[in-house]
Amino acid sequence: MTSASISKAEKSYIQAGLLTSPPRRADGRSLHDFRAIYLETGVAPLSNGSARLSIGRNPLDGSGGTEVLAAVKLEVENIEEQTLDGGRIACNVSCSPSAYPHLSSGALDDLQHDLTTVLHQTLSHPSLHPKNLGIIPRKKSWLLNLDLLVTAEAGNIYDALFLAARAALWDTKVPRTRSVEYKSPKTFLSASGDMDVDQDTRSGFDTRHVAHATDFELPDYWDEGEILEGRERWPVAVTLNLLHTAHFLDATLQEEASCASRLLVVYSHESPTAYTIQSMRMLGSDELSIPHLKKLIKEAEGYTRSMATSLTTKLEDEDFRRNQKAREKFGRRK
Amino acid sequence: MVEITIRKRPQTEAVITQRKFFKKTARGKVVKVLRERYLRDDVACGIEGCRECSTEISRLLPPSGGLEHQLFPNGHYILPDTNVFLAQMDLIESSLFNPPMILLQTVLEEVRHRSLPLYNRLKALTKSEDKHIWVFYNEYRSETAIVREENETPNDRNDRGIRTAAAWYNTHISLTHTPIRGQKQMPHPTVVLITEDAANRQKAEQSGIVSVSVRRYVEAMKDANVLLDLLSAEGSHNIEPTKAAAGRQALYPDYLPTPTLIAGVKAGELHQGHFNANQYNYLEGSVPVPAFDKPILLVGRENMNRAVQGDIVVIEVFPEKDWKAPADEVVDQEAIQKNDDAEDSGEEGDENDEEVFSKESRVLSGSSNQKPPSERQPTGRIVGIIKRNWRAYVCHIDSTSLTSTLTTSLSTQTVFATPVSRLLPRIRLRTRQAPTLLNQKILVTIDRWDSTSRYPEGHFVRALGQVESKEAEQESLLLEFEVPYRPFGKAILDCLPPEGEQWVVPPKGEFDLQNIWRDREDLRDVIVCSIDPPGCQDIDDALHAKLLPNGNIEAGVHIADVSHFVLPDNPMDSEAAARGTTVYLVDNRIDMLPSLLGTNLCSLRPFVERLAFSSIWELTADAEIVSVRFTKSVIKSKAAFTYEEAQIRKDDPNLHDELTNSIRLLNTLAIKLKAKRMAAGALNLASPEVKIHLDSAESSDPIDVEQKELRETNSLVEEFMLLANISVARKIEESFPQTAVLRRHLPPPKTNFEKLQDILRKTKGFSLDVSSSGALAASLDECVDAREPAFNTLVRIMATRCMLSAEYFSSGSVAKDTFGHYGLASEIYTHFTSPIRRYADVLVHRQLSAAIGSTPLHATLHSKSHVERVLDVVNRRHRMAQMAGRASVEFYVGLALKARGEQARARGEPDVREDAYVIRTFRNGVGVFVSKLGIEGLVTFKRDTQFDAENYTITVPGAKEEVKISVFDKVVVRIEVEKDKNTQRGKVKMTLVEPVDSSAF
Repeated sequence: MTSASISKAEKSYIQAGLLTSPPRRADGRSLHDFRAIYLETGVAPLSNGSARLSIGRNPLDGSGGTEVLAAVKLEVENIEEQTLDGGRIACNVSCSPSAYPHLSSGALDDLQHDLTTVLHQTLSHPSLHPKNLGIIPRKKSWLLNLDLLVTAEAGNIYDALFLAARAALWDTKVPRTRSVEYKSPKTFLSASGDMDVDQDTRSGFDTRHVAHATDFELPDYWDEGEILEGRERWPVAVTLNLLHTAHFLDATLQEEASCASRLLVVYSHESPTAYTIQSMRMLGSDELSIPHLKKLIKEAEGYTRSMATSLTTKLEDEDFRRNQKAREKFGRRK
Repeated sequence: MVEITIRKRPQTEAVITQRKFFKKTARGKVVKVLRERYLRDDVACGIEGCRECSTEISRLLPPSGGLEHQLFPNGHYILPDTNVFLAQMDLIESSLFNPPMILLQTVLEEVRHRSLPLYNRLKALTKSEDKHIWVFYNEYRSETAIVREENETPNDRNDRGIRTAAAWYNTHISLTHTPIRGQKQMPHPTVVLITEDAANRQKAEQSGIVSVSVRRYVEAMKDANVLLDLLSAEGSHNIEPTKAAAGRQALYPDYLPTPTLIAGVKAGELHQGHFNANQYNYLEGSVPVPAFDKPILLVGRENMNRAVQGDIVVIEVFPEKDWKAPADEVVDQEAIQKNDDAEDSGEEGDENDEEVFSKESRVLSGSSNQKPPSERQPTGRIVGIIKRNWRAYVCHIDSTSLTSTLTTSLSTQTVFATPVSRLLPRIRLRTRQAPTLLNQKILVTIDRWDSTSRYPEGHFVRALGQVESKEAEQESLLLEFEVPYRPFGKAILDCLPPEGEQWVVPPKGEFDLQNIWRDREDLRDVIVCSIDPPGCQDIDDALHAKLLPNGNIEAGVHIADVSHFVLPDNPMDSEAAARGTTVYLVDNRIDMLPSLLGTNLCSLRPFVERLAFSSIWELTADAEIVSVRFTKSVIKSKAAFTYEEAQIRKDDPNLHDELTNSIRLLNTLAIKLKAKRMAAGALNLASPEVKIHLDSAESSDPIDVEQKELRETNSLVEEFMLLANISVARKIEESFPQTAVLRRHLPPPKTNFEKLQDILRKTKGFSLDVSSSGALAASLDECVDAREPAFNTLVRIMATRCMLSAEYFSSGSVAKDTFGHYGLASEIYTHFTSPIRRYADVLVHRQLSAAIGSTPLHATLHSKSHVERVLDVVNRRHRMAQMAGRASVEFYVGLALKARGEQARARGEPDVREDAYVIRTFRNGVGVFVSKLGIEGLVTFKRDTQFDAENYTITVPGAKEEVKISVFDKVVVRIEVEKDKNTQRGKVKMTLVEPVDSSAF
């Protein structure tokens, strides 16, 4: 996904800069520095959760940088197959043609498809599945649509997408539902005394019990709902751009174009100590030895952890700003 | 220059500016809805002369508030919360209740959310002249707008909003009422929060807002006596809980929550339908549901679970072994619950209660279950109510339930109101006016029916007048059958031609400014006449016939061109659509259209030119149709006959004028048409039709009742109307296959006839072939008993009752093979001939007019759903009108019988006796039909007889030996009209005289 075409001379200049000691990058960052990340949640009021994220935006005029808009929309779905029980997640990434002016529409489709596949496969993995997407067991559940729109691209798109996805999912509230069911009263059973049914011993394997609930209601129309279960689990990705034995983070477009391969590692940090690797991809054509790979994966964990921590802090900040602070401001207005 | 700034609202203010909520759609999807909110500082308080709020609107609240209330001598405004409107709308609507009122937007929206009908009533009130209501948009004024806190329920949020607004008003008033220098300081009026919620009152008082309950507020009002009655039962319990309310035990099972019901119905485990009470047995009801062929039977109070006639209920069906057959006994609630005390009925341990219980349970267990299984019906119980059909009911106060009958007594009493309709339970209500309401017909609404109360609780709405006074009875009849009877409003009358009575058909040619003659045939020279019942004012049809040179006959039916005057979609049209039909009562007529049209402009009076819609056939001498054409026309009728006059004229051999010949020609054709119809299998049905002789138009005291006489000329008119209707139906169906307004009569399901077939086979040995209408007609013809000429009529009446009723429909809404009219044996039918008194005919006129290219069809008549909606109303109105008409006849028959009984007594004769036929047998009585009077009655015995349900006979002890009475037996009954002691309801009471005198048992 080399989206910037640069000359050989430029390429070797950038590579040389990165490999000198101390390394030199065009914007003066060290190898493992990120550009500034801006994040705002609740940007799409009609969605159930949303976020706008940009990396490397010019703080003065707001231009430049990679910008991603993520929104979650929940939809009620009738369950036809057993496998769908408990809801499902569908991710979709679309890229604005203005972000990739040099790509043909076919190439843009391919790119969107690639990005979608990575996001979808990682986020819809059962280990991350929130437990509160079911509505009525075996009848109805929520389909969580996570849509991401890339509005501008200036490098490091994967990290941006995962960060935005995490923020939007964090922000997502699931409307509270109450399932309604009609149970045939027990009197019928006891009335038919000719049947000897032992009522209390129900084994866990007993599948005869079928839930009768067929419909649900919204107990509180005004309530946004509850947060997604396990929102701390949503993973964070880091792209390690590989250049010989060194690696650097948050590459700009030119830097991306000058290194042959990248390693994408996605970690989930449920708590500061517990972490799992959710996904890993090698992008590019270079070779990578196993010991080197191991080392990179280990280092990636450190990066994602600090990203996750600061992201969580920021998200909590956002929650506070949008609710309590806004309310206080409203209260002071009089 | 005015400075215009466009301020984009930043996302950061979303909490204040946006209101988000979820909505569940009918298809089960959840939609998030977002509303932008703009807060302003200039939402006016609505108080006249307020220094800060300027408003252009003139109808403001008085500056000093309402000064008439005892508790608030300094003036006050009331600010009721939502529950007040939900529970006490009758109070708010009362003309005596008019303190200046502030209606908050929060409240208005909540009312709309909870009940749309109440919201509409409230909206109407805010516009009415005699109320002082100011709607304050508190959610849009920046000081009073609030944001929902975290973990706050919507109710709490709204209550807080209401309190905030009340507090704001008080500060606002004190700020704007500051003394002007040099003037005396006036005390300012208070804003009083009215709420039934004690917790809300407490919170309000903490923040310094004056708040009272509705009852306390009304008690201190000027007309408290009258107004307190209007309080619905809901309010009374907070203040003075009845003595043993806490200890009461639930008499009825609780309803399941609505979502559960819907879920159950969706899953097919529960069934939904309209509740029908049984008029013979108040402990039984039934609900027809699509899932079963027979309606679901509900036996006993608990299983009927507080359903009232017409409610949409949800039923759980018992397992099949618990199914029962309907009881064969007459159970009268007045007889069993006679001693029930209104004050404390429903309390545990009450002796009366146990008495009632034991009686009821005896009745229920007595209803035999030894019946053949074939008679068993699906049986179930009501588990919930989807929609109540409660409205105002016409009632009498039950005099025995009064504790004090002194007219001066103003103490509140709990009394029973007995509805006129036997299908309804008694209603318990509290009133201070009980003694004055005795002997009056009153309107009562049901407020609620708790599971702890045997009877529904209601409140008094208004009095209609003395029992048996014509006005009260008539109004009660109209109310009972929901007939809209208000006079036509100005908007409607404005739709009439401005010339009024002076309107005439303009001369043809250049003076025809409105182009009335366009596409109209000049039939003024045709010899047209009308034949109607005597005293008919709304003549909507006229006829003519003449011989053509080729030997064929030209016959024409001319129908008043109502659609020329009633244009689509104007106020008159909407009113007519809502009324659906003209309602004929014995002494009154409730018009569908203003009488200027009905009895003048559209009435095809003789000797004046009138606009008509004509259907003209060329028929062979054998009454075969050669051709038919439809045209708008102008006619000038040459005569208006009654059936009798036309008959005499036709039969007079000396008359040979054109008019008489025309009638004869029509008559011969009609006879042939009828023969053809009969051959095709049309039914000759009978329904008892009687005529009430009124003494004079003024006093309208009935003197006698007789059966209507049918002449040849009746049939003449009928045949031609049928012919016109069928021809028109074909034409419009062809032109508008999706939306043609047609009328059909579905063939009755075979099972409807089962019982009648069985009775006929067992008692008389006749068999009834119900395979088709033709077969039925033939077998009905054979049901003749040489000794009993009335027997055939009786069988016809009973067969008619087994059939379904005819209905209007839109041709696109049902399958084409179900268009047929069973009774007329016609494959297609509509109503075209009475547009003055039936709205369906008006629609048909419009469609026919469009079909012949005379006028374009209004867009609404192209919409299937619109036509369906209109016809639904028309069908319902039609049914109600028939019932109202019948009830009116019944009332007059009752009066006539009473008069006759008095005359008989004056002459020294003992009583009125009539021949009657047994039509039904019960364990403890027989149902009889008095054909001479066209009334049905019930003879009940105090004790059980030997009842043979299989053979429909009962055996009663006679003078010498036991006498067997079976269905179709001729008996003699003594008919008395007795005033029911408790309800003041005139009631026809019948006792057997022959073969045995049943007064002894």
